[in-house]
Amino acid sequence: MSSKATGQVNRQTPEFKAKLKTYRLNEGEYDMICGLLKRDPNNIEWALFSALWSEHCSYKSSKVHLKKLFNKSARVLESFGENAGVVDLGGGERVAFKIESHNHPSYIEPYQGAATGVGGILRDIFTMGARPIALADYLCFGQPSAHRMTSIVDGVVRGIGGYGNCVGVPTITGQTEFHKSYDGNVLCNAMAVGLFRPGEKVFLSKAKGVGNWVVYVGAKTGRDGVHGASMASESFGADSAAKRPTIQIGDPFFEKLLIESCLEVMKQDLVVAIQDMGAAGLTSSSFEMASKGGVGFKIHLDQVPLRDSSMSPEDVLLSESQERMLLVCEPSKFEALAAVFRKWGLDAARIGEVTAKKTVELHWKGELLTEIDPDILVENAPQYQRPFKVLPPQNRVATRTWAKARANGADAAKCLSLCLQDIRGTSRKFVYRQYDARVGASTARDTSDSVGVVRLKDSKRGLGVVLGCRPHIMRLDARVGGIDAIAYPAFELALKGFETLAVTDCLNFGNPEKENVMSDFVASLDGMNQVCASLEAPIISGNVSFYNETMGQNITPTPSTGLVGLRDDVIGMPESFFTGTDHAVYVLRLPGFVTGGCDQESWNSGSHAIGELDGRVVGDFIRVARKIASAPGVKSTRAIGKFGLVYALARMSFGADIGAVIDTEGLKMIRPELDSTSLFEEHLYEAVIAVDPSRVTDFEDAFSAVRQASPTAELHRVGRTVRGSIEIGALMKVDIESLKKSYNSGWSENFESLA
Amino acid sequence: MSQVGVLRFPGTNCDRDVFEALEAKGRNPEWVWHADQFDSRCFDALFLPGGFSYGDYLRSGALAARAPAMKSVREAADRGVPVLGICNGFQILCEAGLLPGALVRNRGLRFIDDWVSLRLTNPNAAFDRRASAGARARLPIAHADGRFVVSDDDLKRLQDQGQIWWQYEDNPNGAAGDIAGVMNEKKNVAALMPHPERAMYDWMGGTDGEGFFE
Repeated sequence: MSSKATGQVNRQTPEFKAKLKTYRLNEGEYDMICGLLKRDPNNIEWALFSALWSEHCSYKSSKVHLKKLFNKSARVLESFGENAGVVDLGGGERVAFKIESHNHPSYIEPYQGAATGVGGILRDIFTMGARPIALADYLCFGQPSAHRMTSIVDGVVRGIGGYGNCVGVPTITGQTEFHKSYDGNVLCNAMAVGLFRPGEKVFLSKAKGVGNWVVYVGAKTGRDGVHGASMASESFGADSAAKRPTIQIGDPFFEKLLIESCLEVMKQDLVVAIQDMGAAGLTSSSFEMASKGGVGFKIHLDQVPLRDSSMSPEDVLLSESQERMLLVCEPSKFEALAAVFRKWGLDAARIGEVTAKKTVELHWKGELLTEIDPDILVENAPQYQRPFKVLPPQNRVATRTWAKARANGADAAKCLSLCLQDIRGTSRKFVYRQYDARVGASTARDTSDSVGVVRLKDSKRGLGVVLGCRPHIMRLDARVGGIDAIAYPAFELALKGFETLAVTDCLNFGNPEKENVMSDFVASLDGMNQVCASLEAPIISGNVSFYNETMGQNITPTPSTGLVGLRDDVIGMPESFFTGTDHAVYVLRLPGFVTGGCDQESWNSGSHAIGELDGRVVGDFIRVARKIASAPGVKSTRAIGKFGLVYALARMSFGADIGAVIDTEGLKMIRPELDSTSLFEEHLYEAVIAVDPSRVTDFEDAFSAVRQASPTAELHRVGRTVRGSIEIGALMKVDIESLKKSYNSGWSENFESLA
Repeated sequence: MSQVGVLRFPGTNCDRDVFEALEAKGRNPEWVWHADQFDSRCFDALFLPGGFSYGDYLRSGALAARAPAMKSVREAADRGVPVLGICNGFQILCEAGLLPGALVRNRGLRFIDDWVSLRLTNPNAAFDRRASAGARARLPIAHADGRFVVSDDDLKRLQDQGQIWWQYEDNPNGAAGDIAGVMNEKKNVAALMPHPERAMYDWMGGTDGEGFFE
């Protein structure tokens, strides 16, 4: 594309340079704009380009890499480019889902930042015609002692609850991480899942039909969130508090009305195209709808319902006021449409029409402010190939250098107790108790489990939702972390008998203009891709959040993921805790890659690992795990994750006060070192499986029957379940009661005022 | 076949759950829209489901209690029609003066989602088949304003007149007298904070809610 400048403006003046800064454009981008317009942009166009060419809206630093994402599958009905991805479940049922970040707002104003994050992701779902049926939240906070952290945690959790509970969508799973790299830049990613029941239509944002009306519905437009998209495309400095006016305020009651009214007008087939007004508000929705439809829009900005009559057209265009939708309808259907919205107490305002000439005209009180080809703003944004290096495998050491520290020689039971009390390992009940997990009356597994499950009303099948990305693995190695961001949640799904169907991702990274950040970005996408291809689970939606950097400190690269899986029913799913005594305890494992686990970060300056991880091998192993989880006699399953084998056993013992005895012979098969440290190591990947003692032969036969699909997979019988305690060879014996105490007290020890 | 009216206010979000629970038990539910008055003789029972009616930005249930449909609910209650409130429905019935007491912010000031154990204090055949006092039920709760408050004198009167319906075994929200559900004097208006419609099948985690919809 030619970007020859034709502008006439004097670039040397301080005014011009100040304007570039205000609108967060650089001079090269200004050249491109002049080249595309064949003139200098006028005032309103500065604002349009600032918004739509922001990193947040244009993906200009990531697009070249996102194109390589694995997104092929016969099940995918809609993917990137629409508000959310849509996957076919068969039998007429389809789901729309997406995860999205609201990091910057949640740090500046935690309650509203998190609340509007939930509101925004819900609109992405129901704007397509799907009724939201589940929410999930991926949160990364700083150390509990970090400045403002108690109030940020409190505000974010209250905000998510305040919004999600009121709109009536259950929060069924989540992940909450803590690390110092998030001290000045927390992450708040919200995922929503929506269901199309048989016969319900998928609505798209592509505008159609010359002469059709452009209709605005929902809350009135105010000054909140003006320039929010470009704010989210910049690192934080010392003045982040001054950005508070760019935060939006949410009204979940209004959103609830919008959900019901929008689904009703869709059901009556009164809508041609529809899109929510998210980042960059009316600007992005109108230009994107026109661009996708290959049509023009004539918009009268003065017809937009305003909260404040003194707003300028620029404010109207860039406002990120919440709970608003833009739709296209046939003129003859407008009255019926408006009547539905009136019934729900909402206004529908005609603000323009679809035109044949492919330009968006913006009018304000009789004056034509601009007339511009929407593709220029939507399709022709710059794409940058930011410098990056191909990272070699990091931090590999030939021996277990982490072996001689905290746990070894020390009391393993004491060490386990510390892990259960640690903020990374302690109960999240404080968080999840504040979210309604069962509204909708479809929740089969909630946040107390490793997989959230809702039951589909028509087919009675189970839809499983899990979040992924473990920052401690990302800090170890970006490629391994990328593999793990798909593999670990897919493994968790498999252990409950779910087949992973598709993935959404929220790529939270630091400043993409820094080579190391970009290198991590590329490496982690590569890792994710490997596993997705192997599992044939396409990445169908998501967003990228760059500039998670405060005062030069970048966050841990954090490509959070949301996986959706399917199984034939919700009956007979293995539990995540031991359900009876004398069950046979097995460990299913894929040998090859071992790390010191989450705890090594506590006492060791770095993270270390041995071995290499191959995404394809992992994919095969996960498929086998799914078959094993559905084998005869399986009662309980749980992946061994952070803090290793003992932590997993402890968590499995809390549900029914039933623990396990792992005998020395059994332990030798999986931890030949037979030392305390090995109990806290993390092997990618392993799971504990408890089996009905009368079915062990059938169970082992089932493994033999499928093992050729993953030839290196191992299954070892290591012990049995017992009441009241956990005993591991000669290394440890501890009462469940005391472990529970640690697990349930850790949160309040870290956050005194949040008990 | 007997008709059961299910009230729908803007912001009600357990409406479909209650509707489906009634259908599952062979009842014949029908929507009642908040803005419409109705003939109270049309229904053999009325259900007020949970949610956040009108956003609950004032006191929970305060605006809904003044909706046109509530005039008809009051007429029905006067005529002896069984009226059951769940969660926000409980709050609305208190605000409407059809039930004694009030529901205020939980002890601890946070929303609570959990399973709770309940004890049946005074059985009421109009709403629940369980016939023996002391029967236990395990049901989910999900509320921010679930703390039942009432004056000491009134609490005594509720006890004496057998108006306490369900009590918490382990009080989660600070409710006076551990009260999870109450009835009016005539025993034809009753409400509880827990959600029986979320405990209909084993896969939901329990079936103790079934009896409320039979």
